[in-house]
Amino acid sequence: MSFFGFGQSAEIEIYLDGQESRKTAEVKTEDGKKERLLLYYDGETVSGKVNISLKKPGSKLEHQGIKIEFIGQIEMFYDRGNHHEFISLVKELARPGDMIAHTSYPFEFSCVEKPFEVYTGANVRLRYYLKVTIIRRLADIVKELDIAVHTLSSYPEMNNSIKMEVGIEDCLHIEFEYNKSKYHLKDVIVGKIYFLLVRIKIKHMEIAIIKKETTGTGPNTFTENETIAKYEIMDGAPVRGESIPIRVFLAGYELTPTMRDINKKFSVRYFLNLVLMDTEDRRYFKQQEITLWRKVRKPNLQSPAILAGTQTLENTAPQEDDQEKTEPAQKEDFLRAPNSQSNDKLNASDPFDQRISSPTESPPESQIQNMTREAGDGQNDPENTE
Amino acid sequence: MPTTPPQISPVEDQEKYLQDALGVVKAQAFHMKRALDKNKLMDALKNASAMLAELRTSLLSPKSYYELYMAITDELRHLELYLLDEFQKGRKVTDLYELVQYAGNIVPRLYLLITVGLVYIKTNYALRRDLLKDLVEMCRGVQHPLRGLFLRNYLLQCTRNVLPDAADTDVDTPEGTVKDSVDFVLMNFAEMNKLWVRMQHQGHSRERQHREREREELKILVGTNLVRLSQLESVTLEKYQKLVLPGILEQVVSCRDAIAQEYLMECIIQVFPDEFHIKTLNPFLKSCAELEAGVNVKNIVISLMERLASFSQRADTQGGEGATILQQVQLFEVFSDQVASIITTRQYLPPEDMIALQVALVNLALKCYPDRIDYIDKVMLTSVEVFQRLGLEHLESSSLVSKELQKLLKIPLDNYNNLLIILKLKHYAGLMQHLDYTGRKLLSIYILNNALDNETVIPTQEETEQALNLLSPLVNDKEEQPLGEVDLEELAEEQCLLARFIHQLRSNVADDQYLILTAARKILGGGGPQRMKYTLPPLLFQAYLLAYKYKELKDEKWEKKCQKIFQFCHSTITALVKAELAELPLRLFLQGALAIDQIGFENHETVAYEFMSQAFSLYEDEISDSKAQLAAITLIVGTLEQISCFSEENSDPLRTQCALAASKLLKKPDQCRGVATCSHLFWSGKSLASNREETHDGKRVVECLKKGLRIAKQCMDVSVQVQLFVELLNHYIYFFEKGNDQVSVQILNQVIGKIKEELPNLENSDETEQITKHFNNTLEHLRSRLETPDADGVSYEGLEV
Repeated sequence: MSFFGFGQSAEIEIYLDGQESRKTAEVKTEDGKKERLLLYYDGETVSGKVNISLKKPGSKLEHQGIKIEFIGQIEMFYDRGNHHEFISLVKELARPGDMIAHTSYPFEFSCVEKPFEVYTGANVRLRYYLKVTIIRRLADIVKELDIAVHTLSSYPEMNNSIKMEVGIEDCLHIEFEYNKSKYHLKDVIVGKIYFLLVRIKIKHMEIAIIKKETTGTGPNTFTENETIAKYEIMDGAPVRGESIPIRVFLAGYELTPTMRDINKKFSVRYFLNLVLMDTEDRRYFKQQEITLWRKVRKPNLQSPAILAGTQTLENTAPQEDDQEKTEPAQKEDFLRAPNSQSNDKLNASDPFDQRISSPTESPPESQIQNMTREAGDGQNDPENTE
Repeated sequence: MPTTPPQISPVEDQEKYLQDALGVVKAQAFHMKRALDKNKLMDALKNASAMLAELRTSLLSPKSYYELYMAITDELRHLELYLLDEFQKGRKVTDLYELVQYAGNIVPRLYLLITVGLVYIKTNYALRRDLLKDLVEMCRGVQHPLRGLFLRNYLLQCTRNVLPDAADTDVDTPEGTVKDSVDFVLMNFAEMNKLWVRMQHQGHSRERQHREREREELKILVGTNLVRLSQLESVTLEKYQKLVLPGILEQVVSCRDAIAQEYLMECIIQVFPDEFHIKTLNPFLKSCAELEAGVNVKNIVISLMERLASFSQRADTQGGEGATILQQVQLFEVFSDQVASIITTRQYLPPEDMIALQVALVNLALKCYPDRIDYIDKVMLTSVEVFQRLGLEHLESSSLVSKELQKLLKIPLDNYNNLLIILKLKHYAGLMQHLDYTGRKLLSIYILNNALDNETVIPTQEETEQALNLLSPLVNDKEEQPLGEVDLEELAEEQCLLARFIHQLRSNVADDQYLILTAARKILGGGGPQRMKYTLPPLLFQAYLLAYKYKELKDEKWEKKCQKIFQFCHSTITALVKAELAELPLRLFLQGALAIDQIGFENHETVAYEFMSQAFSLYEDEISDSKAQLAAITLIVGTLEQISCFSEENSDPLRTQCALAASKLLKKPDQCRGVATCSHLFWSGKSLASNREETHDGKRVVECLKKGLRIAKQCMDVSVQVQLFVELLNHYIYFFEKGNDQVSVQILNQVIGKIKEELPNLENSDETEQITKHFNNTLEHLRSRLETPDADGVSYEGLEV
């Protein structure tokens, strides 16, 4: 920090209490890299020590005071000058004076409200950081430390399934069903597609998870769509009466909780896009919004021995419910709709069918909505050129 | 995702595509194995996924795809073994089952899922039931027929050794029971079958043949499901009845695809044990009735019948459980009922198939219940009903249905080799009526040959009537008989068979035999002259034989009975006469007369006389050809010579008549020979007057011979004259040796001299040589007699040789 090569300079180190044992979370930086940050939750106290070490021991450091701030802010990439701080807390560590030796100042922001989750998107970034400033006449000495914040939700009270009959008249009629409308980040989407009418030659069907990031307001609204995942759920052409299972594990994808109107600055929303492609590469699709939320972690019950052997897989594997892992989603498997006239007679004796009689909460008169058929032959569709 | 052309590429490109794909597989498999060696599972999975991605191709024909599939699944084994090894060492990879589901493409994902699922099952049976359920359900995601079939085949292959095979319990077991296995395989089967059937409806209609060939190549994949079901040991009969078979049949019937139905029904028959089939005949056969129009139900049913028939035969020889089952199940009744219902419900079934089913039924009945003729009769009745319902008459003999019917009718015959049993079948004849004339005739000949080959004796009147009615195409003229020239040679051949058969109409009881003969006569009499010529003579000989038999028996009324028999014979022969035949009835009369003479019943003389006189009148009225006349007269003379029953009153006119007739022959040589023959009547002929001894009327003998000499001298042709002389000389010698005192050495010398005188004048020819030889032989005989005279014989003294 000494631009002119003379005068005293100091190094600031922020030590957070219990940082050796605290959980970390991976957070994307602006340039797309990922770093691991200490993880805090809403209302948690952030405390620690600020260690200041002088570079030239023996000579004193003159300062106008030392402070530490806890800042939560939203940065718009297209408006770099303006940071919207939704939290800004300051603690004074030292009054103006001279510092002669290494000094350590404890600090504590008790029960800090952290209403939002950290987020780095295409156009917006939400971050929390601690900032220590040694105020000097010429150039302040500053040290920042980012922390990660996750917002936790409890299990949503209302969590209806998504069930809908969609189609293109005399061409394609399907009924699809996702078991929930709200999924936590390590959840599994379970569902099925039931084909009521098929007059097109379908080549395959996939489910895409699309993230929509909306920033700004009014005329300055920017929307960025990103396909997080593409997941083929059917190969080949089904016939009327076929029912295709859906099972998508969310844990493997980079997802955040759904964020609605964060501080009136931005939103991040997720959609499931069901896409059917015919042999002439025309695409038929239907988007449904789902809400993602972060679930409170349960204590990890898994024995460390098994964990040790699977370290490389940890990143993609969900952390909770490990005791049930080996039979994923079995119990959540979807049932055929009561009104479906399956010609699949073998299933008639399926014990599952009894459970159908208790229909899901969705309204029985599921409205028929139009699917979207894309114009053109799909040849130039960038998604097809993969 | 790559865009794939919808069409499968031409043959020449197949090899290239396949080689490309195999190249990728090889490379990825290599990397996968290297990663496994280094314990880098994630990398290995990525390689495996890349390798499996080759199976997403649409470019390959089923054959090439199979090759690729084999190569890839082979490599997958390495992954499986590695994981198994790790798991068993306790290094369990958590969430692997979930992990592999992140694969973006469904085909590689599901192959990996199956591979991993298998490892989970093998290392922890508690997961088995749920995993199996999950795997078979998730595979629904592949709806492309070819890829789906192979994927599910992989599932089936992988799980073949881990399917739960424990009997059901009330306790909920996560390991699963056999019921779970059945559900699993049935579900897989249903899905595979649907995919397989779907192939038929994809692509252009002009490629139908090509598609069907491809389907043919793939059928084994579907069938393997059934094999797997049959390998489950805990599938008991009860489970098969309640769970397995209904499940299969439902799928088979509902898929409405002829190729699939035919193949799968056949599969069921082949893979499951006979004991099961026997107990589930009804549902199985009911389903047969519900199959598509194009399905060859006949073959299916027949194949089942054949299987069960041979099972029944095995069970009979081995006894034991099989035999017990057979006793419980009325195999024939069940089949019979079900075949009937198949025939009624499947209107479009060609008639030949209907009959083919009956053929199979008969075979079944014969194999399983050889002593139940009523079963066969029932089939015959059903067949008659089928024809009546279809309104089919006079089936053209070259048509398929006619051929089947002939087959049906021949089977009991071939099996029993006994016409009598056929006659017991009430509906056999009725069924035969549905053949056209040619067909019936051919069958009749077949029946006849069978009866002849097996020497089947028909012992009652009733059966005789039945048999002859059955053979009526040979016995009578038919209205529907083709017009035009009758092939006489063919007719002769047929009638000879019939004639041979008549000899087999015989009863050990004489009275019955009589009834048989009269019945046969009545029927055969309607056959017209062409047939009677062949069929009546054997009947007559049978009648004569019967008369002899009565003579032996000598029961109370035997004489009356004999008289009746001969009356019967008389009228029968008369029928032949009326048919404008002459020589044949003549001979038959003579034969009759001989029989009458020998049997000697009351009043036989009159009857014999009547027979003789009939013969004479035939000779006089009907025989005009001189050669035939000579032959006839010779016969008459021969017969008369044998008969001894005539009183002088009857025998004299007959003898005289013979001599007279002989002398009235047209040609001199004939006269000469006739008269010479007649001479014997007066020597060895017998009558009541001579007490049934030889008459030995030497004078009249010599008169005859002299007349013969006289006639011979009138012959213009010297060689004929000499020939006659030689013959007469022989007659003379005969009588001389017999001791006729009217014949002297002098007369012999005269004749010999005469011959010697004329002989050298003959021209050299074959005839002359023959005559000379005859003469020399005669002289030789005389010389030998001269040299070594018999002790009690006549003396040849003074003979000039």
